[in-house]
Amino acid sequence: MMKRLIATLVVSTFALTAAARAEDKPAKVTVGYLNLVNAQLVTKHLGLLAKEMPGVDIKYVKVGGGGDMLRAIAGNDVDFGGLGNPPTAIGATRALPIKGILVINLLDYVEAMVVRTDKNITSLKDLKGKTVAAPFGSTTHYLLLQALKDEGVDPASMKILDLAPSDIAAAWLRGDIDAAWFWEPNLDKAVKNGGKILITSGEMTKRGYPTWDIGVVMNAFAEKYPSYVEKFIKAECEGIDFWLKNPEKTAEIIAEELSLPLPDATRMMKGTGMVPCNKQITEEYLGTSAKKGKFVDTLISTADFLVKQERLPKLLPRADFEAFIQPAYLEKVTGH
Amino acid sequence: MSAEASPMAIPIPADRTRRGTLRLPRVSRSMLLSTLTVAVLLAAWAIVTEMGWANELFLPKPQAVWAAFIKTMTKGYQGATLLQHLGASLYRILTAFALACLVGIPLGVLMGVSRNARALLNPLIEFYRPLPPLGLYTLLVMWLGIGESSKLSLLFLAGLPGIVISTIQAVTSVDPVYVRAAQSLGANRRHLLFHVYLPAAGPLILAGMRISLGFTYTVLVAAEIVAASAGIGWMIWDAAKFLLSDVVIMGLIVLGLTGVVLDLMMRGIARLLMPWART
Repeated sequence: MMKRLIATLVVSTFALTAAARAEDKPAKVTVGYLNLVNAQLVTKHLGLLAKEMPGVDIKYVKVGGGGDMLRAIAGNDVDFGGLGNPPTAIGATRALPIKGILVINLLDYVEAMVVRTDKNITSLKDLKGKTVAAPFGSTTHYLLLQALKDEGVDPASMKILDLAPSDIAAAWLRGDIDAAWFWEPNLDKAVKNGGKILITSGEMTKRGYPTWDIGVVMNAFAEKYPSYVEKFIKAECEGIDFWLKNPEKTAEIIAEELSLPLPDATRMMKGTGMVPCNKQITEEYLGTSAKKGKFVDTLISTADFLVKQERLPKLLPRADFEAFIQPAYLEKVTGH
Repeated sequence: MSAEASPMAIPIPADRTRRGTLRLPRVSRSMLLSTLTVAVLLAAWAIVTEMGWANELFLPKPQAVWAAFIKTMTKGYQGATLLQHLGASLYRILTAFALACLVGIPLGVLMGVSRNARALLNPLIEFYRPLPPLGLYTLLVMWLGIGESSKLSLLFLAGLPGIVISTIQAVTSVDPVYVRAAQSLGANRRHLLFHVYLPAAGPLILAGMRISLGFTYTVLVAAEIVAASAGIGWMIWDAAKFLLSDVVIMGLIVLGLTGVVLDLMMRGIARLLMPWART
């Protein structure tokens, strides 16, 4: 901490003296990426970020889920991160120093609720008295509670456990849990071992509860190195383009990155929605700096839900969520 | 150590009265100093937060923590009140600790009395004692599942070595004169155990139990991270996910105070069972 402070002081003093001549360059950029299937893996695998930022030490940190990412951000351990909409709503409400700058992915059937086939669970109502797992604070925990509420099933009528995705897979293999809502690549392990999909996150999108992951940048980093935020976005956009244009090669990359068989990687890819960067600044997604898009609405309804769950103290006004979404960098990159 | 352990030392009456007059002011003075520490800490906390020097996300105001305490006491946190969370944690700790004592004390006595038993069992104890609890825990979860048994086992394993080792030490440091004296009076092994070894080693065993209870306590949050839905440790972990730092700090304070109370209770029990021991 102290070292960091001193380093910051030294860097900023240096920056002040050198500002007139040369532009600031970070010595190191730390990217926290979520352990799921999306184009960030492509960007990482192809080293696109390093190409955009020559001479900068780039460090990738794999983070298990939204809760851990929030902790990493609160602890100032990353410069860029990724968050699903529930953790984003939490972070924005708790005034974490971050801004949302990029759509990382939309969640379709890459996230789903798996139920044990031999337990005869055909609807959410059958979950009564069963043991259900989800990583608390994540997109799937949010969707689980939302789905139960819509079906009129009392969450207290079942045992809902907080487990990390990898622990869910282990507990599933042991037979400790009857159902779980979580994501690939671990989801597949449950499906292949006596499980079937009851409902996917994509179906919840159609019911009006979209879930997605958004790329965030630390405010301090963005203020100091705005051009490097653009470079980051540019690299991620290249990754997204590659994903959209070369599905087969992408599947190979995903398979290698996550040590998966190729058919599994291909299927998981199809369950993830990628949005080309020039479409991200439309009404449907981030919107523009002048008029923010539907992501704000999703954030507000997510935050409202979390307030009702007593996970958040109060619902902030719309302006706070609008201020969190910052399409300006993306607008520059895509030339709008 | 040996001078203290001898119960036969007769204090000089004059010395005792002088000590007696000194004792009261000394106790109240240390009480005063202890209170001062707490007061200074609280004041520093209040000032730092009131002046806005600390980000409230990381260090909430004392009032916010107090409000979290009242709310959790009355309305509860995620389906259970503070007392229910505390009950769940205490059940885990005390059950595991009782099991650790039930296994650890006989084991320690056996290892203390018999060189062979010590040689046989030492590698096991010495090997797993320094293992970090979380490393052990992943294996326990795989073997025993995510239910209560893996949590209890982790706490049990955390508490066991302390008890075993201090019991061995306690038994081996019993003055052989006592043993020989009892033997010459015709004591058999049973007599030796219950009338010589255990009473003489008792105070040290109890000291070991206190340390071991403290160690069990430190592993609580780790034990409740995996698939718990109640418990103080779980509450802290869950609140951290939602950045509810007021609940986190409140939970830590409750955890700390409960630990102090547990230790005081252990000392009380020691005084009751072994009035000859100085605790």
